[in-house]
Amino acid sequence: MSTMTGGVLASYRFVDAASGAIRTLKAEGIRDFTVYTPVPNVEIAQAVGHRVSPVRLWTLLGGLLGCASGFALTLWMSFDWPLVVGGKPIGSVIPYVVIAFELTILFGAGATILGLIFHSWRNRQMGAYEGRFTDDHIGIFVRCPTERRAEVEALLRAAGAEEVRVES
Amino acid sequence: MATIAREDQITRPTYQEITRDITATLGRPSRGYYVLLGFVLVVLAIGAAALLYQIRFGLGVAGYTPPVMWGVYITTFVFWVGIAHSGTLISAILYLFRSAWRTSVYRTAEAMTVFAVMTAGLFPVIHVGRLWYAYWLFPYPNQRQLWVNFKSPLLWDVFAVSTYFTVSTLFLIVGLVPDLAAVREKATGWRRKLYEITSLGWRGTDQQWRHYTRAYLYLAALAAPLVLSVHSVVSWDFAMSIVPGWHATIFAPYFVAGAIYSGVAMVVTLLVPLRKVFRVQRYITVEHFENLAKLLLLTGLIVGYAYAVEYFMAWYSGSPYERAAFWNRAFGDYWWATWTMILCNGVLPLILFFRKVRQSIPALFVLSLFVNLGMWFERFVIIVVSLSFEYEPYAMGHYTPSWVEWAILAGSFAWFFMWFLLFAKNFPTVSITEVKEIIPMPRKQRAHS
Amino acid sequence: MAENSNGMNRRKFLTVLGVTGGGAAALSGCSSDSVEKLIPYLVPPENQVPGVATWYASTCRECPAGCGLHVRVREGRAVKVEGNPDHPVNAGRLCARGQASLQGLYNPDRVRQPLSRTADGKFEPIAWEDAIAQVAERLGGSPSDGVRFLTGHEAGSFDRLVDEWLAAFGSRGRVAFEPLGYEALRHANRTVFGIDGLARHDFAAADYVLSFGADFLDTWLSPVEHARGFGARHGYRDGHMGRYVHVEPRLSMTAMSADEWVAPRPGSEGLLALSVAHVIVRDGLASTPADVHRVRPLLDRHVPETVAAETGVPADTVARLAREFTAGPSVALAGGMGIQHAAAHVTAAAVNLLNYVAGNVGRTVRFEGTPTGRPAPYSRLVELTSDMKGGAVRALFMHGANPVHGTPPGLGFRDAMQAVPFKVSFARFMDETAQACDLVLPDHDPLEQWNDFETRPGVHALQQPVMQPVFDTRATGDVLLQVTARVGGPASARLTVTSFKDYLQRSWAALQARVGDRRPFATFWTEALQRGGVWREPSTQRVTLAASAGSLEGSSTWRLPEGRLALIAYPSSALYDGRGANRPWLQELPDPVTKTTWTTWVEIHPETGAELGIAEGDVVEIASDMATIRAQAYLYPGLRRDTVAVPMGQGHTAFGRYAEGRGANVLHLLDAEPTAFGGVATYTGVTLRATGEHAPLPKTEGKPRQMGRGIAQMVTLEELARGEGHGEHGAHAAPVPERIEEILDHWQEGQDEATKYGAYEGEHPRWGMAVDLSRCTGCSACVTACYAENNIATVGPESVRRGREMSWLRIERYFEGGENGEPFEARVLPMLCQQCGSAPCETVCPVFAAYHTPDGLNGQIYNRCVGTRYCSNNCPYKVRYFNWFDYQEPADPTFAWPEPLHWLLNPDVTVRSKGVMEKCTFCVQRIRDKQNQAKLEDRDRLADGEVLTACQQTCPSDAIVFGDLNDPNSRVSALARETRGYHALGELNTRPAVTYLKKVRNLVEG
Repeated sequence: MSTMTGGVLASYRFVDAASGAIRTLKAEGIRDFTVYTPVPNVEIAQAVGHRVSPVRLWTLLGGLLGCASGFALTLWMSFDWPLVVGGKPIGSVIPYVVIAFELTILFGAGATILGLIFHSWRNRQMGAYEGRFTDDHIGIFVRCPTERRAEVEALLRAAGAEEVRVES
Repeated sequence: MATIAREDQITRPTYQEITRDITATLGRPSRGYYVLLGFVLVVLAIGAAALLYQIRFGLGVAGYTPPVMWGVYITTFVFWVGIAHSGTLISAILYLFRSAWRTSVYRTAEAMTVFAVMTAGLFPVIHVGRLWYAYWLFPYPNQRQLWVNFKSPLLWDVFAVSTYFTVSTLFLIVGLVPDLAAVREKATGWRRKLYEITSLGWRGTDQQWRHYTRAYLYLAALAAPLVLSVHSVVSWDFAMSIVPGWHATIFAPYFVAGAIYSGVAMVVTLLVPLRKVFRVQRYITVEHFENLAKLLLLTGLIVGYAYAVEYFMAWYSGSPYERAAFWNRAFGDYWWATWTMILCNGVLPLILFFRKVRQSIPALFVLSLFVNLGMWFERFVIIVVSLSFEYEPYAMGHYTPSWVEWAILAGSFAWFFMWFLLFAKNFPTVSITEVKEIIPMPRKQRAHS
Repeated sequence: MAENSNGMNRRKFLTVLGVTGGGAAALSGCSSDSVEKLIPYLVPPENQVPGVATWYASTCRECPAGCGLHVRVREGRAVKVEGNPDHPVNAGRLCARGQASLQGLYNPDRVRQPLSRTADGKFEPIAWEDAIAQVAERLGGSPSDGVRFLTGHEAGSFDRLVDEWLAAFGSRGRVAFEPLGYEALRHANRTVFGIDGLARHDFAAADYVLSFGADFLDTWLSPVEHARGFGARHGYRDGHMGRYVHVEPRLSMTAMSADEWVAPRPGSEGLLALSVAHVIVRDGLASTPADVHRVRPLLDRHVPETVAAETGVPADTVARLAREFTAGPSVALAGGMGIQHAAAHVTAAAVNLLNYVAGNVGRTVRFEGTPTGRPAPYSRLVELTSDMKGGAVRALFMHGANPVHGTPPGLGFRDAMQAVPFKVSFARFMDETAQACDLVLPDHDPLEQWNDFETRPGVHALQQPVMQPVFDTRATGDVLLQVTARVGGPASARLTVTSFKDYLQRSWAALQARVGDRRPFATFWTEALQRGGVWREPSTQRVTLAASAGSLEGSSTWRLPEGRLALIAYPSSALYDGRGANRPWLQELPDPVTKTTWTTWVEIHPETGAELGIAEGDVVEIASDMATIRAQAYLYPGLRRDTVAVPMGQGHTAFGRYAEGRGANVLHLLDAEPTAFGGVATYTGVTLRATGEHAPLPKTEGKPRQMGRGIAQMVTLEELARGEGHGEHGAHAAPVPERIEEILDHWQEGQDEATKYGAYEGEHPRWGMAVDLSRCTGCSACVTACYAENNIATVGPESVRRGREMSWLRIERYFEGGENGEPFEARVLPMLCQQCGSAPCETVCPVFAAYHTPDGLNGQIYNRCVGTRYCSNNCPYKVRYFNWFDYQEPADPTFAWPEPLHWLLNPDVTVRSKGVMEKCTFCVQRIRDKQNQAKLEDRDRLADGEVLTACQQTCPSDAIVFGDLNDPNSRVSALARETRGYHALGELNTRPAVTYLKKVRNLVEG
C-alpha cells in the first residue's frame, strides 16, 4: 500500500453516516482510504466491498500439509528402526491416524495465524488514527494529495462527520 | 437475540460504558487480591517441595501399591484436561453456532482452558519414574537412534495435548488482540507499553477486520473437532488397554461429555466470584448462568447415562472379569469413591431441572463445587479401582495415596489459580469487542426519531 | 545385559567343561593356590580370566542334608551357587536355603575379626595371635574334663579333630547339638530296630507315600533329595503317577502336594499308624516278616474301631489306607520336628512297625550303616547346662550352635553360661550365644574353608575355599591346631599336623585306602575336589525287630489340655531353625503356605478366628504355661479347628540387622524339660487373645482364592484316564468357538507376516517354558535362585506390605474348597513373565523400552525406560516390577546390598536404577552366553536343554523345562503339546510362551 501518510481523517458516531460517507467516496472515485471500527461491522464491510479474505487458503494448505506430514513422520520413523511390539505390523496405519489428525489441526491453525499476520501486515497503513476508534467511534482516513483535501473534507462533512481533521 | 439487550433487564450499555466498565477491572488490585495471591504461592511452594522430595527418593514416596501403578497423578491429569474442555467448547463450538450469550463468558472460559492444560501437562511428567527423561516421549533425533512408539496411546496423548495447548493458546491471543488495542488507549505507564506490544499494532482497520474475522472463523472450525478429539485420545489411554473397566468402546464419548461437564462446572465456579469482585453483573447476568446450567444438565445426563451403560455392558459382555470389576466398584473396598461419584455427577445435577435452581447463582455455585469433586472421583474410580481388581487374584492390591500426592494435588490447584489471578488483573476477562459486537452500532435515524 | 567378548566365552566354556568333565581349567581351578594368595591382575594367573567364570565344587552346609555345590566365581568372587549335578544327594538341585548361602558368605553382619569382651561387657578387636595365646594360657597344660566343646552337627574330619583336640586336653566333654535333631526318629529306630541312626527313604521307588506329619519337602532330613524322587514318581507321566496321603493336623507346604489330607486329633498320629499296621497284619494284606508276631499284642491293642474315637479318623478310612498302603511299593514317614510332641517317639516307632509289616524296610526304607558324627539329643545339652550351672565347666567352646536362641528359655542356657569362667565362640555372626562369650574367634564361611562332610554313609563330600576370605577370619580347625601348638607339651604331641588342610588330607588318604583306590593321592585328591567328593552305593543293612520293639514306653498319645488350642511349632521352610534369619533373600521369601515375609505369624482356622474375633493381621497374644508371645494372625483353612501353628526361626535379639527384632521366637512357648525320647516337645497347649492391635501382614498374596478364573488348574487322574480335562479352562462363560479361534489364528499370521523387517527376518528360535504343576511343590527354591541370578533387590517388610516386592518369579498359592464341608486343597503355580507372543505390555510403551526380540522374548530395555508403568497396568499377569526407590544407591536408605553384600551381584546382569520397570528375562544373559559359545563352535543352533534358566536349574522336583518352541523335537514343545497343557488366562489371546501342565490329583475311586 501507499506509504503516503498525508490526508483527511474524519470520525463518525453513527454507522449509517460512516457507510454513506464511504459510498460517496467510492462514487467520487476515491479508493485510497482506511476505515477504523471498534468492532467488525457488516454494513461498513459491504460499503467498502472487499473480496473474501485469502486466509482460508492458508488454513487449507496448512491442514493438508499437517495430515501428510503426520503419516509421513509416523511411517518413516517406524521403518527407520523396525521394532515389533505386541505382534503388530511395523507400520500400523490405523493408530497413526490419530497423530495425522492432530498434526492436521496443529498445522492448519498455525498456517491460519501466519496467514492472518502476513495479510494484515501487507495491508497495514501508517496514516492518522485516534484512540476512540477502538472505543465507540468510526474513523475514515482518506489519503490524498494536498490539492484535493478541501474537496474531500467537504465531502466527509456532508456525510455527517462529527469532526474532520486534515493531516499533513 | 442479545441477552443484554433484553428490555426487562438493565438498560443496554453504550460502547463507551462497556470499554469503561471492563477496563475498570484492570485497575489497581485490592489488598485481598495480594493476600489471595500470596496464599496461592505458598501452597504452590509446598507442592513443589513435595515434588522435589519425590524426585530425590523415587516414586515410592507416593502411595503406589502394585498392581495400582497409576494413582492420584493420572487421576488429576485427566481431571484438569477435562476442565480444559469447556473453554474451547464455549469459545469455538458456540461461536460456530452463533449463540450470542457466549460473548461475555468465553474469555474467562478460554483463559481457564489454557491454564488448565498447563496444569494437566505437568502430571504426566510428575508421574513418570524418571521425570528427567520425560522428554524422550517426543520424537526428536537422538543418540539412541531411536524413535518413539506411535502405537502407544501415550504418544497420541503427547500429540493431542500439546496440539490442544498450542491451538487454544493461539485462539485466546487472537481473541485478545482487539481488546488489548481498546485497553491500550486507556492504559498508562508500563501497562501501556505492555498493551502496545501485545496488541500487535491493532487499529481495527477494514483490512484487519477482513482477515481477522475469517481467521477467527477458521480457528473456531479447527478447534471444534480438536476439543472432541483430545479427550477421546485421553480416554483411549484406558480404552486401548485390556484392563477390565477400561477396555470399553463407550469411553471416548463418555469422557468428552464428562470433560465438558466438569469444565462448565469450573467455569461457574470461577465466574460467580469474578462477576462480584469485578462488578460486571451487568455483562454476566443470571441468564448466562442459566444457559451454563442447561449445559451442565445436558452433559450431566449424558454422564449419568454412561455410568448406567458401563454397568449394563459389564453384565451383557458375559466376561467374568468385567462383571467382577464392576461389582468391585460398587461394593468392593472403594465403594465410597464410586458412590461419591454417582451422587455428585449423576444425582445432584438433576435438581437443575428446576428453573429456580438454574437461576439461583448461590445454588449453582455450590452445585458446581460438588460436580468438580464428583468428576475428580470419577477419574479416581475409573483408574485406581479398575487397576486394583484385575485378572490375577493373587496380585490384587489396595492403594491409598500418600501425603506427597495430596501436596502435589493441592500444588496443582495453586498453580492454576496463580495463572488465573495474574491473568484476571492484567487482561480483560470479559471480551470488550465481542460484547460490543452484539450491540448494534448507533444509527443516525433511530437517534433522531 | 552384559555380554562377554567372544574370546572370553571360549575359555569360559572350557572352564565349565572342566568342572563337569575332566578339563584342565577346572582341575587347576580347584587347586588351592588360586585362593591362598591375592590375584595380581598385572600377571593374570591361570583360570582367573576377567569376565570368565570359574566353577568350584563344594558342599552346602546350610542344613545337615549336605547337598553338593558348584560355586560360580567371577574375578575371584563367588557370585552364584548351584547344585552339583554329580552329587548323589541333590543331583544338581538346591533349595532356597542353599541358594541363599552366598548371603552368609557376604553377610554385612559377619564378625569381621576376632573380638574379646572387655570388663564393661563390650567387645573390642583383638589380634589373632593374642586371642590364641589367651586360649592356650586358659587351657594350660593341666588336662581336665572341665573343658567342654559344643558344636552343631558335624560329620567328617572337623568332627574328629574336635574330639581329638578335646582328648588332647583330657576332656570327653563334646556335645554336638543340632536344634532339629530328630530325636524321636533316632529313638524309635533304636527301640524298634536297635539301630542308632536315621533311615534313608527312597521316594523314587515308592508309588504310595503315607506321611505322618513328615514335611519331607521343606525341612525333613534331606528335602532336595526327597523332592527329586517324589517329583519323579508322584509327578504325572503318560497315565501313571504315585499317590500321597498326608496325616497331620496341619496342611504343611509338603502336604499341599498330597492327594489326600487326613487331619487326626493332634498327638494321635501314632495310634492311627498302629491301627493301619494292625489291619495289614490282621487281614494279611502283605507278606509280613516272620518276627512280626512279637509285636502282634501291641498291634492288636489298636483296632481301628476303638482307635477311631481317639484319632477322630473313621475306621473305614484306616482300612482303606491299609489296603492302599499295601497295594504296591510304598513308604510311611514319621514327622520330624513338625509333629514332635511328647509321644512323637511312639508315632515314629509305630511308623517303623508299619513300614516293617508292609515289608518296606530294606526296600523303600533303608538303613545303610551309621554315618560318622551323630548329633547328641537335646537331653545331652540339658546335662551340659546343669554341669555349667554346677560349675563343673571350666572352659566352654562353641561352634556352629546357637543354643540361647535355639532352645526354650526354660533351659536357662544363657544364665548357665554366666557360671562358666571362660567361654569361646567360633561363630561367624554375633548371635545370641556369641554375645555371651568372652572371646569370639570368627570361623571362615563354609565357602572359604577346607572341610569334608559325610552326608550319609558312602557319600564323602569335600568343601574347598572358593575365594579369598572376605574378612579377617580363620578356619576353626586351624585355630584349634594353633592353640595346641601354642600350649605345646602332651597336647601338641597328640596333634602333630600344622594345618587343618593337612589333617583333612590325611583322613582322605585313609579314605582312599578304605575305598581301595590304588592311584597316587594327588590324583585321587584333585579328582575328588573336581567331583565334589567320593561316593559309592552303600550296602543296605538287614534289619529285624529289636527286643524292645513290642513295648513302647511312655503314653502313646499326647493329649491336648482342656480349653486349650494345640500349638504346632514347626521349622520354617525358609529360615529353618532360625539360622536363615539373617539372609534378606530368605526373610523376603514368601512362606510357601502363608505367603508372609519378614515376621512371625500364627496360623488360625478361619472359624476359630471368627469365634475368637480374630481377623487377619490382628496382633494375637499366644499364651502357654511357659510364656506369652505376640504374633500376627493369618487365617488358614488348612488346619484343624482346635489347632494353631507358628513357625520357628524369628524373634532374634542379635544375629544382625536382617534378623534382629522381627516377630517372636515360638520356642519360648515350649517346655524345656526333655521328652521321654530326649528331645524338645514342639506341641503344647495354648490360649489365644486378640490384643486389639492390627497391622497389615507383610504378605505377597492379594486374594487367596482364584475366583474360578482357572489360573492354577487341576485335573484328577480318573478324568485324564477317561480322556477328559484337556485344553484351556478359561474363565469365559462359553469356550471360544472354533471359528473365532481360526479368525484369531489368521489374524496372528497376518500380523506375523507384517513384522518381517530388519532383525526379524529369517528363522529364529522361540524361547518357551513348560511348568508341570503335578511336579511343582511350591518349595520356592526357584524364587531365591532368580533373586541370586538376576540381582533382584530385597525391599523390606514395609514395601512388601505395599506390594512392592520385586520377585520376578513368584509362587502363587490358591486355596480351593475348605468351606461348607468340601475338602480343602491348596494349589501352587509359579508365575513369571509369560513372554507373550502378542504382548499387551509392549504396545503401550511409548519409548520401545518393552519390545519383542526376534527370538520371541519380551525385551525390557532398562535404560530406555522412563517409567510410565503403563506396561504393568496392561499386563494381565502382573509380572512387571517397578523400582519405586533406588535400591542400588548406597547413599539411599533403601540400598539393598550393603557392603560386602553387593559382592554377590551377578556381573552379567544390570543392576536397575530408580524409576525403571523390570521383569523376568528368561535369563537372557544365559541364552546369549550359550549362543556366543555356539557361534564360536560354528553351530548355528543350540542343542535342546543347553540353556538352563536359573529357576529350572535349581528346581528340586524338575517341574520347569525351558527350550525352543520352534523346534518340534525339543522337550519343551513336546510338553507344550501335552493334553494337560494350558495357558494362564489364555482366552485373552496374549499367546504366552509359558505352558502350564495341569496339576493331577490321584483321588481314590468312588
